[in-house]
Amino acid sequence: MQSDVLTVGFLVSLLAGAIRLSIPILLPALGEIFTQRSGILNLGLEGIMLMGALGGFAGTFFTHNLWFGLLCAVFVGVLFSLIMAFLSITVKANQVIAGTALTILGTGLSAFLFRAIFGIQKLPPQVESFQPLKFPILTDIPVLGPIFFNHNILVYLTLVLVIVTAVVLEKTTFGLKVRAVGENPKAADAKGIHVQLVRYICVAIGGAYAGLGGAFLSIGFMSTFLDRMVSGRGFIAVAVVIFARWNPYRALAAALLFGGADALQMRLQAIGVPIPHQFLLALPYVLTILVLVSVSKKAEFPAAYTLPYTRAER
Amino acid sequence: MKKKASLLLAIMLVFALLMSGCGAKSSPAEATGDKNAVKPLKVALILPGKVDDVSWNQAMHEGMKELEKDYAGKIEVTYSENVYEVSNIEPALREFASQGYDLVIGHGFQFQEPIIKVAGEFPKVKFALGTGFKTLANTAIYDVQLEDGGYLMGTLAGLLTKTNKIGVVGGADVSEIYRGHEAYKYAAKKVNPSIQIQELYTGDWRDAAKAKEGAISMFDSGADLIWHSGDGIGLGVVDAGKEKNKLVLGNVADQNVLAPNNVLSGIVYNWNPVLKQIVDDILNNNFENREDKHYWLTVANGGVTVASFHGLDSQVSAEVKEKLEQVKKDFADKKIEMPKFDK
Repeated sequence: MQSDVLTVGFLVSLLAGAIRLSIPILLPALGEIFTQRSGILNLGLEGIMLMGALGGFAGTFFTHNLWFGLLCAVFVGVLFSLIMAFLSITVKANQVIAGTALTILGTGLSAFLFRAIFGIQKLPPQVESFQPLKFPILTDIPVLGPIFFNHNILVYLTLVLVIVTAVVLEKTTFGLKVRAVGENPKAADAKGIHVQLVRYICVAIGGAYAGLGGAFLSIGFMSTFLDRMVSGRGFIAVAVVIFARWNPYRALAAALLFGGADALQMRLQAIGVPIPHQFLLALPYVLTILVLVSVSKKAEFPAAYTLPYTRAER
Repeated sequence: MKKKASLLLAIMLVFALLMSGCGAKSSPAEATGDKNAVKPLKVALILPGKVDDVSWNQAMHEGMKELEKDYAGKIEVTYSENVYEVSNIEPALREFASQGYDLVIGHGFQFQEPIIKVAGEFPKVKFALGTGFKTLANTAIYDVQLEDGGYLMGTLAGLLTKTNKIGVVGGADVSEIYRGHEAYKYAAKKVNPSIQIQELYTGDWRDAAKAKEGAISMFDSGADLIWHSGDGIGLGVVDAGKEKNKLVLGNVADQNVLAPNNVLSGIVYNWNPVLKQIVDDILNNNFENREDKHYWLTVANGGVTVASFHGLDSQVSAEVKEKLEQVKKDFADKKIEMPKFDK
């Protein structure tokens, strides 16, 4: 049994699985970095992802075009996140409550709309999902090929987005504005930055990424929509953002860690290690708690984190 | 401003809760005009999931629909979907019981405690619980002998594997799922003593992506056949079989159409015989004085059946088919012996 763990095949399968499972955590986390950097905590990721998963699936189902489906997921994600933006920025509601409400709403609404659109079916409607790409030469390299060069295009797109996110946040004027708004909205306002607008954009970007993350589950990894199929990944994404201290590269590492923990526990269970599976199932979540406890002291939250901005107050 | 915000939030929350709790709808099968007919038995079926989940709830819904047709005029059924959380179950039970329903069915293990509590308060109402172990005079339990199904699937998998590695994926290891898995492993080892079996529980019924990844890991390590014990996660296992082009055995409903080249067969539940017996017992005043409070869905009574091989028929040799038929016959003759898998 132990010898099963130490084979190359096991490691290859494990690492490939870690990458697959990290993507639906990494995508919403990258978007949440924008959102939180601008000072908004969006706990509604789970609900937005579910709506994105549904949007992506429905878009693909009716047009048979995966890219159009993806576009639908982004659109739905943005639209749904604007509820969060309106509540937290315009009417200055408590962000924790607004985010929680958004998650409950997304869970119920996605299930309701799925039933409303597709009716009661004897078998779940399905689409042809994004298939793993085959690269010439690269895919056939032993060990590295199956780990890195045998995923669907969304995986590579996500990795590109890590770099894009980092560059936009650190090297562009817009990124500077986002950080200014999150750290000191008053000063940003005095400099002529439209605080509310920047925050709206950041929440919307977060929604777009979360919608993509949901679509990765419904039309990237799976080929159908299921009620609550996001299964807590939206919340893990929020934990990843704090663990990564709002840095996209560290978010990549953190998402891989969580995806890897999940991939590992399943493989350990399957080959029958003598640990009760309840403990193994809890592994990714125990890891989340441990990691958050250890880094939360180091984490420097944006100074205006969860604080609504208004010119009238001082 | 503050007030407006909290009002908005309140509205949103109410809306959201309404949305997530939606789905309760009734379809009263009106006794058509026949004024002389006896008052029909009023039945409420409370399902923890959706009626089209290709699984646990769908099989029950279809079994009940069939009975409604067979017993037109004799019973009147109201369906309620998505009552999953224990906190929602008790009020739902109490509501049906106080509205004059004669039989209230809670389709799942999580209904056990609420049913025991509410049944004590409504001694005239009968309650049926889908899997469990606690009963009162006015309650009964119906359950599926998934060990029968697991045994059949294990026999099939053990005989068909070419790599000598097979797998099984389940949601949580509760009552019938656990028994099914254990019987699967037992039967596979019986027909193929050197077989390696991988087993995985995903811990919930909905995370299909996790189940898919688990099935991929099994296929990666050389398994060539996986049985899944049902619900949403089963779709993940089927998807993995499709992607890796390996064979999958389904559960609860015939899932061949999902992946015609990969779903070899599976266990199909037919709740009709059990429902029929429960309703018959109530109509004949036999419900409360039954000694055995369990109604079992078995291979012998036609409740647990094996799906056909469809287009994959040629992959199964005549010998294997013969063996499978023999096991089915032995079940009918009560000749199958296996240990009792209880937790």
